[in-house]
Amino acid sequence: MDYSKQIQDIAAKLFTDGKIDVFVGYRMNGFDDNQVPAVITDPKEVSTLVFTEKSVFNLSNYLKADHTRNKRVGLVVKGCDSRSLNLLLTESQVKRDKLYIIGIACEGVVDDKGQKVQNCMECIIPDAVVYDEILGTPKGKKDYIVNADIKALAEKGLVERREYFEEIFENCIRCNACRNSCPLCYCTKCCIDQETATIYNGSNTSSSAFHALMTWSLHLAGRCVDCRNCEKACPSHLPLHLLHKQNEKVIFGNFQNHLAGVEEGDRGAFYKYSLKDPDDFIM
Amino acid sequence: MSFSTFVTDKAGLQKLYEAIISKYETYAPVEKFGKYDYKKVSSLKECDPDSPIAMTMSVKPLFFPRSSKIMKYEANSAGTSIRETDQDPLAGQRVILGVKHCDARGLQVLEAVNKWDYIDSDFLKRRANTVILSNRCDKADTHCFCTSLDYDVENLDAPDVAIVNGTNGKIYVQARTEKGETFLKENSSEPMANRITNDELQMTNCEEDLTKQYEAFLSSFRLKMDYKDVNERMAKRFDSPAFEEASRNCVSCNTCAFICPTCHCFKISDEKIKDTGVRYKSYDSCNNVYFTLEAGGHNPRPAKYRRWRQRSMHKFVYYKERFGVNLCVGCGHCAISCPVNISIFEVVNHVASAPIES
Amino acid sequence: MESLLVPSLAKVDRIIQETPDVRTYRLKFKDDSLMDKFTWQPGQFVEFSLMGSGECTFCISSSATRRGFFDCSIKRAGVVTADIHSDIEEGDDVGIRGPYGNWFPLDDIKGKNLLFVGGGIGLAPLRSLIQYAIDNRGDYKDFTVLYGARTSADLCYKEEIEEWKKNTSLKVVLTIDKPEDSWKENVGVVPKILEEVVKPEIANTKVITCGPPIMIKYTLQSLDRLGFDPKDVITTLEMKMQCGLGKCGRCNIGSTYICKDGPVFTYEQLKALPDEF
Repeated sequence: MDYSKQIQDIAAKLFTDGKIDVFVGYRMNGFDDNQVPAVITDPKEVSTLVFTEKSVFNLSNYLKADHTRNKRVGLVVKGCDSRSLNLLLTESQVKRDKLYIIGIACEGVVDDKGQKVQNCMECIIPDAVVYDEILGTPKGKKDYIVNADIKALAEKGLVERREYFEEIFENCIRCNACRNSCPLCYCTKCCIDQETATIYNGSNTSSSAFHALMTWSLHLAGRCVDCRNCEKACPSHLPLHLLHKQNEKVIFGNFQNHLAGVEEGDRGAFYKYSLKDPDDFIM
Repeated sequence: MSFSTFVTDKAGLQKLYEAIISKYETYAPVEKFGKYDYKKVSSLKECDPDSPIAMTMSVKPLFFPRSSKIMKYEANSAGTSIRETDQDPLAGQRVILGVKHCDARGLQVLEAVNKWDYIDSDFLKRRANTVILSNRCDKADTHCFCTSLDYDVENLDAPDVAIVNGTNGKIYVQARTEKGETFLKENSSEPMANRITNDELQMTNCEEDLTKQYEAFLSSFRLKMDYKDVNERMAKRFDSPAFEEASRNCVSCNTCAFICPTCHCFKISDEKIKDTGVRYKSYDSCNNVYFTLEAGGHNPRPAKYRRWRQRSMHKFVYYKERFGVNLCVGCGHCAISCPVNISIFEVVNHVASAPIES
Repeated sequence: MESLLVPSLAKVDRIIQETPDVRTYRLKFKDDSLMDKFTWQPGQFVEFSLMGSGECTFCISSSATRRGFFDCSIKRAGVVTADIHSDIEEGDDVGIRGPYGNWFPLDDIKGKNLLFVGGGIGLAPLRSLIQYAIDNRGDYKDFTVLYGARTSADLCYKEEIEEWKKNTSLKVVLTIDKPEDSWKENVGVVPKILEEVVKPEIANTKVITCGPPIMIKYTLQSLDRLGFDPKDVITTLEMKMQCGLGKCGRCNIGSTYICKDGPVFTYEQLKALPDEF
């Protein structure tokens, strides 16, 4: 999977045609064979753009940054990235006509050691779902699978599960890298940033970390697209996907196989009402 | 005062570690999810004093905790009372194993601001009651540049005891402070029989061995810079557009500051439930949008490049002006932990080499 | 555990509603011996905390020449100040740390004409020095206070200003932005009144000014126009602070810590700071 040349050509043309102000892609990080996001405003830098199976970061995260707000942006999205982009469009965070989207029919990305990452192995929708042009051959939808770690979680009792998460969150340093790396976290003042007199008081006590991460994950329930930007960003390597995948599984089972951001205009599971929604938990 | 060097081997060092753990309150790097953080340990099996530098969190939280209680209080209609908090859990006599040299230097750098005018006696007490055993790396990691900064890595006196690998499986355990000398003497029983003083170092081939090892260490660095040049050039480039270029990728999280051995910004926050509350001092970061946001809505550093300018200038210009040392120890942790691998080394060098706008 | 940051308890003795959104809190330490020992210089600030809401920085708006209490004038602006306004009643306890920061250059202004230029809540830090100067009136020559606000209701310390007006040894000039029916004093923004009504003597005069950023900006320009030396113009800066001790790193402007090297600066010093406030 190497679309570097194609992407360079497309980006160069977009700049020459005056269709974009900014291009968001990937470049080599300059010290090993891994890549970092590239936010390009100068057409001369187009030649640094690359795209391979090392292009990991979900670039739709940059649509909320200073450099791209209210600008015409060209960007590269893989399957999962395009789903989060779709949600941003639905939630009116970005305007479709301001974007030029290069979709990728993704074959999965690899980690630092060259191993295919877990979310790509579980990926249901590898092809970009929203794009102006698509690179690669679309492979279509795959079946929803529940991974062993989530199955194991389901077998735990409530108390046990809470203890399990408390133990995981013990190493949380409350840096908010997970939240800031999440393309779907765009609130101007996040509830976990409150500094006064609440359980999310910004301190690094275990209760504060627990509440902050739990609340954060619930705000993403039915919206998370499993790109795992958060998990990759975590300096403590916490398995944050456990939270999101657990939510995803519950929502998939209860809300007519809902998957976030697959169709344009489709809102998160908790933002729409359907007569088919389960109501057996209502007294 | 002349400090001693003990020559031992891996087995001897293990025995020393075991003896320390059984005798003292000991902290050491403990692995979880592939990352090492300093935790209290009760056996050598739980921890790895040789943890890889790139995967080890800073030891800073043992002196400046990620969150510490300032006070507890009770506030209700009858009035307010402030209660003493529990005893400081970090103020007792303790030993820390497996610290890295750069990290230990970080504490030395932090002492300057904590001793400035209002003396933070809590920080100083925690350091005074701690014996730090630090391992000198054999080889630099991708983002390391400690040897390019304003301290002597080879003869660093920030740790109390330095542990340096020699050739042929030899390990040198060297006292670097008086506290370390006393500590080693008290604990140098059977595994540490081979003791030599500084004067004797020359007569044995130990010094030669150490020099050779240090040269090999020096040559393993990918990143090199002249910090004096960077200090001077940075000071002239407050208005450089290079800050904007270097910070474009930043996602404005707090990671770089929270894992940095020298960052010391903090916030004060309350946690109050019903009538009782706790006030915490917790880490904060200048990369955070809210850091300088005033109540009236004015923010002196609203843009990312302004926050990066503050961060890099604080490290290489402001702190140097105030306290005479760089607020960076070259550990590279920020680059490793950053979600998009922004390295302070690259940022400052990018800015320092940018042309000055007239 | 963090002994530097533990506040002392003070009782709110009196609350004075100055304007619709400004209240003055008259405070006394609960520990009498602490109250006796507590002293400060005009221009210094304290960290004021409402338990459960957090800490905020406020200047002390009264002078230490008046013993037994100290005042903080607080404008409702953010989360904590809103809580302070809604939750604190007379007799309640608050936490106080301080005093911190530098103060007005008392030696430099001795023997000079004093011109105070204040706007809105900006009179609070000036009031501390005004009271100090009134209590040491003999040390100064001409004494003028120019104070403006958006409306007459937004003028702080109304009762005290009436007293100042009665004091023949000082001149008080008041102004509001737009005309009002019962208003008999000046109408117009502070810089305009400064140039057109006050017409200050330049030689041997020290100007002490504080107010909202926009007023400061135009006042400094008009002082420039009038020919004041930037060395003779003194102001106090507002910046988000938290520890007040030069540790938390919030109030840096370049290598200057506003909480330790400030908040009082001359215009000359301000010009040398990087533009980041």
